[in-house]
Amino acid sequence: MENTMITKQPLAEAMPVKRYQASIKAWCMDVLLWSYSFLVLYKLGYQSWWLDLRHVDFFWSEPLYSLLVGGLVASVLSYTKASVGKACYGLIAFDEGRSLFRTASVRLGLLFLLLTFIAGLQISQVSMREFFSDSGLAGAQRIFTALLNPNFAIFEDALFAAVETVYMAFIATALAIPVAFVLAFFAARNLMKNSALSFAIYAVLRFLMNLTRSIEPLVWAIIFSVWVGIGPFSGMLALFLHSVASLTKLYSEQIEAIQDGPVEAMTATGAHPIQVIWYGVVPQVVLPYLSYTIYRWDINVRMATVIGLVGGGGIGTMLMQYQGLARWNDVGMLVIVIAAIVWLMDYASAKIRAHLK
Amino acid sequence: MTLLRSEHLCKTYPNGTQALNQINFSVEEGEFLVVIGLSGSGKSTLLRCINQLHPVSSGAIHFEQQRLDQLQGRALRQQRSRIGMIFQQFNLIPRKSVLTNVLAGALASTPIWKSLLGLYSKEQREQALAYLRIVGLEHKAYVRADNLSGGQQQRVAIARALMQNPKILLADEPVASLDPSTSHSVMKYLQKINRELGVTVICNLHFLSLVRTYASRVLALKDGKIVYQGAPEDIDEQWFTTIYGEEAVEVSIN
Ligand SMILES: Nc1ncnc2c1ncn2[C@@H]1O[C@H](COP(=O)(O)OP(=O)(O)O)[C@@H](O)[C@H]1O
Ligand SMILES: [Mg+2]
Repeated sequence: MENTMITKQPLAEAMPVKRYQASIKAWCMDVLLWSYSFLVLYKLGYQSWWLDLRHVDFFWSEPLYSLLVGGLVASVLSYTKASVGKACYGLIAFDEGRSLFRTASVRLGLLFLLLTFIAGLQISQVSMREFFSDSGLAGAQRIFTALLNPNFAIFEDALFAAVETVYMAFIATALAIPVAFVLAFFAARNLMKNSALSFAIYAVLRFLMNLTRSIEPLVWAIIFSVWVGIGPFSGMLALFLHSVASLTKLYSEQIEAIQDGPVEAMTATGAHPIQVIWYGVVPQVVLPYLSYTIYRWDINVRMATVIGLVGGGGIGTMLMQYQGLARWNDVGMLVIVIAAIVWLMDYASAKIRAHLK
Repeated sequence: MTLLRSEHLCKTYPNGTQALNQINFSVEEGEFLVVIGLSGSGKSTLLRCINQLHPVSSGAIHFEQQRLDQLQGRALRQQRSRIGMIFQQFNLIPRKSVLTNVLAGALASTPIWKSLLGLYSKEQREQALAYLRIVGLEHKAYVRADNLSGGQQQRVAIARALMQNPKILLADEPVASLDPSTSHSVMKYLQKINRELGVTVICNLHFLSLVRTYASRVLALKDGKIVYQGAPEDIDEQWFTTIYGEEAVEVSIN
């Protein structure tokens, strides 16, 4: 099923079953969109803004009522052209000559988007008044003055902490490489699709890697700081785990993109599967691997800084400590060192990767 | 002596395409058998069923005293190593030297750990250089294989196949990516190893004029079935239309 907004021909009578399924999906989509809108309008538009309530209670009955109202509206509108769902599932024929913005479903879609945008502003408490208030500007002046007058007395400490961060990132990357290198072969569809067993391994591995990757290194660092204690080791473990997952994915995607020719040729010589991979696959992927790995190190240095904020050691931990003490001149020094490192890593990794092309 | 025999060979791909249907033929030692047929007639599938790159659906492949279709693992790899193969796209290892590519033909007879470290014996290296000399590329041994011209790459592929010390060589449209004069040069090398080294050759070809020059026997496929077996001289106008269809004009090459 293609989810194209602009379909020349509606999913016409030629495919009644497909059309039937698409109508149901479109209706569900409309119901969700409308109930969402009513909920947002009620909570943010009516309670927060119109009644100007400081604290808004939440009841589970509210989304249920919204769903009811949304269902009603969606059902009525499903007989008209004003349906975003129908447009998405290609059930509405678009008029070629007419501007898209004059189409009811497109206008409706934009309206939903606008609603979300306004709700977002409200929830993020965007207030120009605070931004430009006297106390606000004074605070800004205070911190900027301090940041611009960094305390050079802590320069050495900052540098040592920064070295710790860079090494932590380096070790995390270096240890992740061999693990990801091996795992990537088992996570490559083209190498694993041949038997049911290998495909099962592939699927489980993919799932685990996606799971690991979807948990931010920051969260891993919190977990490991409880596990092994606050310090560079917990930060290193967090980066290591996340790097293994990311590199495995990137590596395996490279393996999936190789030409089969050399693999077939190596198999035909009677080579052992390990030899086939070493001679038929590896030469095709080493360069992209190197490039990705250096990029990963670069990312890890940045992440190591952030991870330090939750106790992963290095310059991030130092930053957190001084920030807690409101020693803004010291923070200013740290910010300069961090910026310098990030810029340096960025520059170096870009240079190296350009040479690897 | 019969070297290879295919009995009631059938191949149906997992997607349901029946590529080969009841293929029966045998190959005598020293033959230069050419397989012709339209694109999609099953030529590539046939060669890949012989060395089990694709498992056969039913039927048997006899190679000397072995049933190749029943072999697995180590035994299969050992038999495969006695069957060389070259491809339309050459399939050399990119970024590696010509010599490394030729030595890859000896993988089956090299311990895994040695091959991973690239530790080939002195004899193997000399052998590789000797085969490169046969295909006229000794001076290119240390050049990166992907920097060579198409014809040269195919000759490296031939040397790699020779490195297996094969009884038989399978060639899947070896000259289809090459220009006419290079095609002849590559075909001449195949002829040379057939005649001088006594390697039996099964070669898929597209152009009939090449067939008449190099084949000792011809086998024609159409829609996965054998429609002609015999001497190349005996393919007349009528056979030609049977194999290639009514609209075909005899494709020639010089
Ligand atoms: N891997 C495959 N999966 C499914 N069908 C295939 C595959 N390879 C080839 N075929 C089909 O099998 C038939 C024979 O193909 P092939 O052996 O490549 O013919 P030829 O080499 O003579 O051009 C064709 O119809 C082709 O589409
Ligand atoms: Mg083919």
